[in-house]
Amino acid sequence: MEFPRHHKEIVNDLMGGKFILATDQKFISLKDNAAFYVKFFKESFGYELELKTDYGFILSYETGEQLSRDICLFFAILCYELDKDGKNFLEEIQYAEFEHEKIDEYFENSSYADIILNNNQLKSGESRRDFIRTMSRRNITERNGDTRFSFTPAYKVFVDFAADFAKGKVAEENNEG
Amino acid sequence: MIKAEPKTILNFLANYYDSLKDIFDLQKEFGHIRKERLQAIFDDRNEHILQQLIDYKIIRKLGDDYEFRDTYFKLFEFILNEFRPLLPETIQKYERSIGTLFKKIRDGIHGDKLILGQRINDLHGEVKEFSEAVEKNTIRLLAETRELKSNVDKLDYKEKVRKASFWIDYYITPLNNILDINHSESITNKLFDISNYVNIRRLNFDDEMLRLQFEKMYVFLVQTNDDLLKQAKLLTNELLPLIERIRTESIILTGWIEFLKAPYRAPLPKIFKVERQYPYSNDMYLNAKEYVQQFGKDETIILEDPKASSDKWVFNKDLYKEKMLQQLPLESFFDWCGLTLKSEYENIETDKLFALTALLFEDGISIEVDTNKERSLIKTSQMVLRVPKIKINRYGIS
Repeated sequence: MEFPRHHKEIVNDLMGGKFILATDQKFISLKDNAAFYVKFFKESFGYELELKTDYGFILSYETGEQLSRDICLFFAILCYELDKDGKNFLEEIQYAEFEHEKIDEYFENSSYADIILNNNQLKSGESRRDFIRTMSRRNITERNGDTRFSFTPAYKVFVDFAADFAKGKVAEENNEG
Repeated sequence: MIKAEPKTILNFLANYYDSLKDIFDLQKEFGHIRKERLQAIFDDRNEHILQQLIDYKIIRKLGDDYEFRDTYFKLFEFILNEFRPLLPETIQKYERSIGTLFKKIRDGIHGDKLILGQRINDLHGEVKEFSEAVEKNTIRLLAETRELKSNVDKLDYKEKVRKASFWIDYYITPLNNILDINHSESITNKLFDISNYVNIRRLNFDDEMLRLQFEKMYVFLVQTNDDLLKQAKLLTNELLPLIERIRTESIILTGWIEFLKAPYRAPLPKIFKVERQYPYSNDMYLNAKEYVQQFGKDETIILEDPKASSDKWVFNKDLYKEKMLQQLPLESFFDWCGLTLKSEYENIETDKLFALTALLFEDGISIEVDTNKERSLIKTSQMVLRVPKIKINRYGIS
């Protein structure tokens, strides 16, 4: 039986929790063989494959995953602080390069100090650097040297989540009202 | 006098939390609890707890209606992190009380020591109340302004600006004046003066007890000043520019602000969880901790020489090997063991028999076992063993 090109790497990456990005040559093979891979992951492991125009990843069974929560907290506080700083947060996340020092400044002066100090991944500059490394391993961020990083298109998963969450809340409010 | 044990009251609060939260919300919204609404809460949940609420002094009667008692109201505010906003003029009262106490301390510094000590304590209490009031107000103002920024209620821009102006004019700017050290009305300014005065007294006051009290007060004031500085920073960075901040709106930011209200209860994107296989057990940490803790206790250990046991049998392998080699070939190894032991001791001890089996692994012999042959029985003092017939020859030509 013949398998698609880069099959082993694709399975390894996705099962390792990585996002496969459109800039990666594996992505073409994943995209061209989308039907096969959707079936492959479903039949072999029971996982759903999520394939978008510029990234692909597999979904967890779990709904309360700690890493996912920490990433959401990171994005939520960063977006809030960027907006407070008068920036267009979405443009910044899409295109800008972030310096760790600037991130530290945002988190250390945030009014969400209670949440930050209670979270092991976010509570100090050092833990945030480790956390950004963890996100890099998953292809959510890209490290540019030791002091800078930027977000990959995988940020969209979290931004879309926030928009859906807001829509849910607005609907809830309308129902109550 | 409350007709219940403290634990009973705490259990009651936990058991009827949902009803109590509804009653708290009514008090927060209307400043009192209408009896019809209270009854509706009881009927909804089929929890008729009016008598307990009164007995445990959680609510009290107010004409025909009721009100939440302040102690419990504050407890609920605290655990829910939902504080009613205090008008800055209410907070301003602390300027007077703190100012008066400080003046009395300064004027009566050489007076009665007991009263001086009491005044320092009271000043400590007033400053603490002031600092807590500021913190609660900032929390509430942050919540209100985030609500405006999130705008789940979909208010139009004009309405948002009207609300923001209200918060800025009546709460945020006056609170900022109270905290702004450069402002004449500032209480922070007064606390700064007190801190300087207390700093000198903690070093040179002749009475040791009071010197220690000044020391404690100084440490507390330094910390309070830090806290107030943080609150002032929040006001200038986040609350005062509110009008500017509500100009932009984004569904994504609304989502994040709503998510941050209760991040540990919210649903999450299902990104993949990697199952890691560790080469050591998950309990390794606890096992290691337990192991280390055993040595953490410094107990006195007494070493005693064990009593020499005279009848302890030591297996002399060379001696028995010699005996066995002399009698080769053996038709049945275990029978030989039995006979040998019986000839030396009255009974065959199991331990001794097993010790002799070590001879099977010695060099210089070859072993033959016919598993089809019937097993023989050897009776030791503890048990009866069914053993195979093991034939032993000298290794090589015998």
